[in-house]
Formats: sequence, C-alpha cells, structure tokens
Amino acid sequence: MSIRADPEGNEIRALFDLVDLGGQEVLEIGCGDGRLTWRYADRAARVMAIDPFAEGIERAKRSLPDALRGHVELHNVAFEDLAAGAEPSTLDIVILSWSLC
Amino acid sequence: MVHALEEIKRLLRLDGSLIEIHPVPEAPSIEVHSGGRVSFAEHDPGYDYDDLRHAEDAVGLMLERGLFVMDRGCEFDFVTDGSSVAELRDFRAQTGAYDDGPQDEAVVAGQAKLYARVEEVISASREEAEVAYHERGRMARLTPVR
Repeated sequence: MSIRADPEGNEIRALFDLVDLGGQEVLEIGCGDGRLTWRYADRAARVMAIDPFAEGIERAKRSLPDALRGHVELHNVAFEDLAAGAEPSTLDIVILSWSLC
Repeated sequence: MVHALEEIKRLLRLDGSLIEIHPVPEAPSIEVHSGGRVSFAEHDPGYDYDDLRHAEDAVGLMLERGLFVMDRGCEFDFVTDGSSVAELRDFRAQTGAYDDGPQDEAVVAGQAKLYARVEEVISASREEAEVAYHERGRMARLTPVR
C-alpha cells in the first residue's frame, strides 16, 4: 500500500457540500501535488491550479490524470505574480488550499 | 496577506466564492489503526502552532476588514495513512518541505522517539496495522463584499 491522503474523502465531501463547482472557472492556490485538484476538477468548466513550490507542481504534472489533460492547467507561480497580470472579475471560485499557514 | 486577499476579491466575479481550507489549530495525532480501531494515538510534537494561528488570523482579518463575509463553514477529519512508519515519515517530510526554516532539535528528537514507539506498537500488533497522521481541517465559503 502506498500513502493514502484522506481515503474516506472527508475533505472533498466538505467541498462539494459548500459549493457547486458545476461549470465554474476555478483557481486553486496552493495545489501542491494535485491531491485535491484531481478530486473535483471534472466538475468544473476549467481549473487553473498554482503553487509557488516547484517540487509540488512537478509531482502534480507527473500525476495529472489523462482524463483531466486540457482541462486543468498547472503553473509554478506565486499567486501575487499571477494576479498582477490577470483581468478582474474572471473567476467563479477561488480555492485557498491549506495555503494561508 | 491583505494584498493577496484583495487581489482574490478583485479576480472573483460579483457572485463568486472563495473557499478557504486550513488546519484546525489543535495538534494532529499520530495513530496506529488495527482491527478496525485506533490502538495508539499521541499528539505530534512537531506541530507548529504559529503557522496555524497565522491561518486563523488571516481569515479573521479578511472578515474584519470587510473584504468577505462567511456564508458557511465546517470542520472535517483529514487522515493520511501508510503501511509503514518510514513511508509516512517520508511523505510528511516531503510535504513539510514547504515549511520555512529548520525544525527545533528537541522537536525532531521528540518526533523520532514517537515514531520509534509507533514502530514498536505496529510490530507488537497481532493484527495487520497501519500508521496514520490525523489532522482536523476547517473549510469556509466566503463571499466578496462589494
């Protein structure tokens, strides 16, 4: 057995309970290795997932499920840098994923 | 931090939502699960209260400054399990690599001692045993204030 993060799916259940991601433009800040991203991305219209740590994003790129290719964009960038060039009022959902601490 | 939250607000549509997820500021535990029950549990001595308080403060700040209002929130158990202590330790070290600065020597020694005890508990278990890292998470849906 390898490592299993949240095998009972408590986190994703909580997310789906709080927000309807159907057809939404989502930005996830602090996606790490994509652990949470893969669990909700198929519900959203499009997902951009970012992390300032290169190792996390590299692992995410290696583990990106085939079914989500072209649907999820992964970028090694800090939010502040991304936001600096971004148009206002373009996102439906922003997920701050364990990244405030 | 405030600037980042203001930027999030700027990028969200009028009816958009911010979902904020962070650990509850209470020490996670390292557990051994066997025979469908928790046979050992002890708090992680490496728990960083400052980091966790920082997340709580940031959420408080965004509400206080009137950037967002909280619509709904919840708490949930977040468990990471592995078949061996070494596997879990490696994984924790990998995810902990994001933390700033080196850990205190006493904390590192305390964790090593705890993991050694967990190894002993697993070895002594008559049933198949798994090691688990048990955290509590807090999730909130916040709406930007216009």
